Amino acid sequence: VFLLKAGNILRMAIGGWFYALITGSLAIAGLAFAGVPFQQGGPIGSQTEDGYNALGPVVTQPIEFPHYIHVEKMGIDCLYCHTYARRSAVSGIPRLSKCIGCHQSIESVKDTPRIKMLLDYWDKQQAIPWKKVHDEPDFVRFNHERHVQRFIFDQGRPTREACGYCHGDVGSMTTARRVKAISMGWCVSCHEKDHRIDAVSDKTSHGPNDCWQCHK
Amino acid sequence: MSDSGVSRRDFLQIVGLGGTTVALAGCGNTSIESGVELVESYVQPENFVVPGVGVYYASTCVQCGAGCGIMGRVREGRVLKLEGNPESAISGGKICGLGQAAVQQHYSPDRLTTPMIMQNGSLQPATWEQAMTLLGATVAPADRTGKRVWLTGPTSGHQQILLRGLIDAGAATDHVVYDPLSTAVEASVNRRLFGVDQPVTLIDKAGLVLSFGNDFLGAGASPVAAARQYARFRKAARRGLLVQVEPKMTLTGANADRWVVIAPGTEGVFALGLARELVQRKDFAGVLPQALLASLEPYDQGAVSRITGVPGDLIPRLVGMLWEHAPSLVLVGRYPQGHAHGSHNVAAIALLNVILQNQGKTLMRAADLPFPQLAPTGGDFKALSDLNQAMAAGQCRSIVFHGTNPVYSAPDFLQFSANLQKVPFKAAWVTDLDETAMQCDLVLPLLSPLEDFGTHVAANQSDGTEISIQQPLMEKLYPQTRSFGDVLIELLRQARPESYKAFPDYYAYLKSAVINAKPAFQSQAPDEEFWEDTLSAGVLRRAAPLLPLTVAGLDPDMFRQPSSGTGSAGANDARYRFNLIPSVSASMRDGRPANLPWLQESPDTLTTVVWDSWAELHPSTAKALQIEEGDVLFLESRHGFIRVKAYLFPGIHPGSVAVPIGQGHLSYGRYATSVGANPLKILDPVFDQETGELAMYATRVAITKTGQNERLSKDEGPTNLQQGRKLVATLAADQVDLSKETPYVIR
Repeated sequence: VFLLKAGNILRMAIGGWFYALITGSLAIAGLAFAGVPFQQGGPIGSQTEDGYNALGPVVTQPIEFPHYIHVEKMGIDCLYCHTYARRSAVSGIPRLSKCIGCHQSIESVKDTPRIKMLLDYWDKQQAIPWKKVHDEPDFVRFNHERHVQRFIFDQGRPTREACGYCHGDVGSMTTARRVKAISMGWCVSCHEKDHRIDAVSDKTSHGPNDCWQCHK
Repeated sequence: MSDSGVSRRDFLQIVGLGGTTVALAGCGNTSIESGVELVESYVQPENFVVPGVGVYYASTCVQCGAGCGIMGRVREGRVLKLEGNPESAISGGKICGLGQAAVQQHYSPDRLTTPMIMQNGSLQPATWEQAMTLLGATVAPADRTGKRVWLTGPTSGHQQILLRGLIDAGAATDHVVYDPLSTAVEASVNRRLFGVDQPVTLIDKAGLVLSFGNDFLGAGASPVAAARQYARFRKAARRGLLVQVEPKMTLTGANADRWVVIAPGTEGVFALGLARELVQRKDFAGVLPQALLASLEPYDQGAVSRITGVPGDLIPRLVGMLWEHAPSLVLVGRYPQGHAHGSHNVAAIALLNVILQNQGKTLMRAADLPFPQLAPTGGDFKALSDLNQAMAAGQCRSIVFHGTNPVYSAPDFLQFSANLQKVPFKAAWVTDLDETAMQCDLVLPLLSPLEDFGTHVAANQSDGTEISIQQPLMEKLYPQTRSFGDVLIELLRQARPESYKAFPDYYAYLKSAVINAKPAFQSQAPDEEFWEDTLSAGVLRRAAPLLPLTVAGLDPDMFRQPSSGTGSAGANDARYRFNLIPSVSASMRDGRPANLPWLQESPDTLTTVVWDSWAELHPSTAKALQIEEGDVLFLESRHGFIRVKAYLFPGIHPGSVAVPIGQGHLSYGRYATSVGANPLKILDPVFDQETGELAMYATRVAITKTGQNERLSKDEGPTNLQQGRKLVATLAADQVDLSKETPYVIR
């Protein structure tokens, strides 16, 4: 939002042709030096939910995991499976035994193709080779635990909403796809906002602005 | 910079442009791997495993023989960092740089990942079936004539028992233990004088430590334990004093209150000079028998000073300090041992401890091990030399190497490499292909020490007795690597099924051995719980007081110094004028850690040189020979030469030149190969007269300039403090006219 506004101001302040020249040359520079993420982010021109031109690629997973069945139909909380997100910087992937914990006793779906694959992995005691959907560069440290604490436990926001700030509404997807920009400017735009410190008081604070909070 | 014709300003401009390019390219976030990289996931992890949160497992560091207990931080199934294990009385929760680098050894890109068999002059990948068939043929040959040798580095614990088991089962004829940095001379003298190989030295109980070249803080036998003792020694109510006497400064010498440079090999003479002065004090008058007193007579201040080069007046001053700061402790290091009269030097130095009556105060006997068969076996050179003769005579049928690299470390005069070719079958166990492995018919890929089980017992234990437990910190990285212990068990199961059939692998054997040892550790826990507790703690500890040390025998012949009055053989040789000191550094030790960039990159503690060898010369010697830093020199002994760059260093005897051990590998992975030079290769065949050990510091060399000068990679700036420019204006104190200064008034 902040960047779009800045763009409007810039467009107003200078002639349209000059703006086009600047953005055009920046785009060329971008293609020359940094063309990759724009291409990898879905079809060219596809936009993230929040208007950025960086929709994540469609990631083919070993099992086409239906998030919508678990979240929308069954009403399971994100943190029930993604239990590490509130305990660690990384959210990790639920252990296979957690899937089996339920599915070994859900007779109705046990012969469906996806559950057969799941049980097959369990029989072989083999970890499912899930692929990363929301990867960050190695020089960025995002801390799930801190964000879950602030938005879910301190502010009392619904889990699906709080996780969705960064992940989009995964609960309505089959396999997850990156739908938010998750770039530095995008992170900072949220850190600059005032967020209530808990569920009851009107006191607010914003996210840290120090480089080393994320770049360690 | 000026050599390449680029000025500093040009350089900054180029860097500026390059920097922009890099910054823009950085926008690409090429390390993002959405949809490509896999997420680490578990099937059924332990309850305490949380991705992103480290879990610590206890194990034992095997980078040297000190047996320090360590903790490995493990995350997502990967070991990331090592720390000391607070449960270990040896490490006390600390770790040294060499230990830290074990992680890098584990992840080394040069790890051997599959068995290799020599075919048509080169090593080719092979299967384990082929490898075990070859190995089995040496363990149970049809023709049982000739030696079938297992040559290892210093060993202890259950691995040692299994190696003995191989011999008992007739699967091998000899287990030879070789250590290029052996202190076998000292051990031999200690056995004669005190009845033990290695008395326990209590630095922290001493008021003054007089060390003859013992680098206990650097490349000593147990640097972490010694550093902890040293810290207590220095922090005591009355701060302990350290006096170091040596021909070339060690890290310990650099920490000493008084560093005394001495002519190489004359340490024994200096010790006898001190002894002569000591026994003249009434406190120490009756300690030595009359016959011994007479043998000290020739070592008066004048004679000692003339031979050693140490100022004569230091002797009475040092004697005063020894008396005043009692109890003292006299330590002997590598330098005095490495001469033809090494044993005599060591005995003369040990005699000081006897006169000062340090036994029972700072010099003790270690508590008896509950299982003596686990006690460490230190290696020696004599064993390798004897084996070399057998090889040369064609008496060796096979050799299996483990934890040692003699093709690199054996001096050229032995012709070990050539003799090895006469052995019909050679096999080596390695993590990285080294010089010895490259000459073998079969090379077996070892697990890294962070992937393997084991037990270790350290030699110098000052606080009870401890068996250090080694356990894997993670799954093995390469499926084709195997545990040495597992293969030993497999071979023993074939050779002695009745004794070993109960053990499917080394793990089962160790578990059974530890559980059987439970009564010695007064545990009431059930077997499984005892085993789990042992793994969790990383050590099996038994509190036991140190025992008193008694002097077994004093004989004047033990201390007799060479009549020539010089340190080493051929000291007056006109051609080979300098004494070569192959120095031992804390990070490179015998050269096995040279493949680790962390250690190559960590500056030498005294010279700050990295990634190289150097010849340390006293500035006065360099001036006389017109040598400057970086001058490329040939150091030539009677048995070869090495090419090294000069480094001017005041902490060395002017008649000596020191070159660090550890570099000069011909084949040891991408980081070690072709870095520096190996001084061990050019050693002269001089041996200690009593033990037959190689006299490592008795080689004479000639120094020749090549006329080339190359920059030495080092962290320190030019020794003229202003970096070659006038950065800070200075004025001599006597040129300051204080009358013109505004007086400072205290209000």
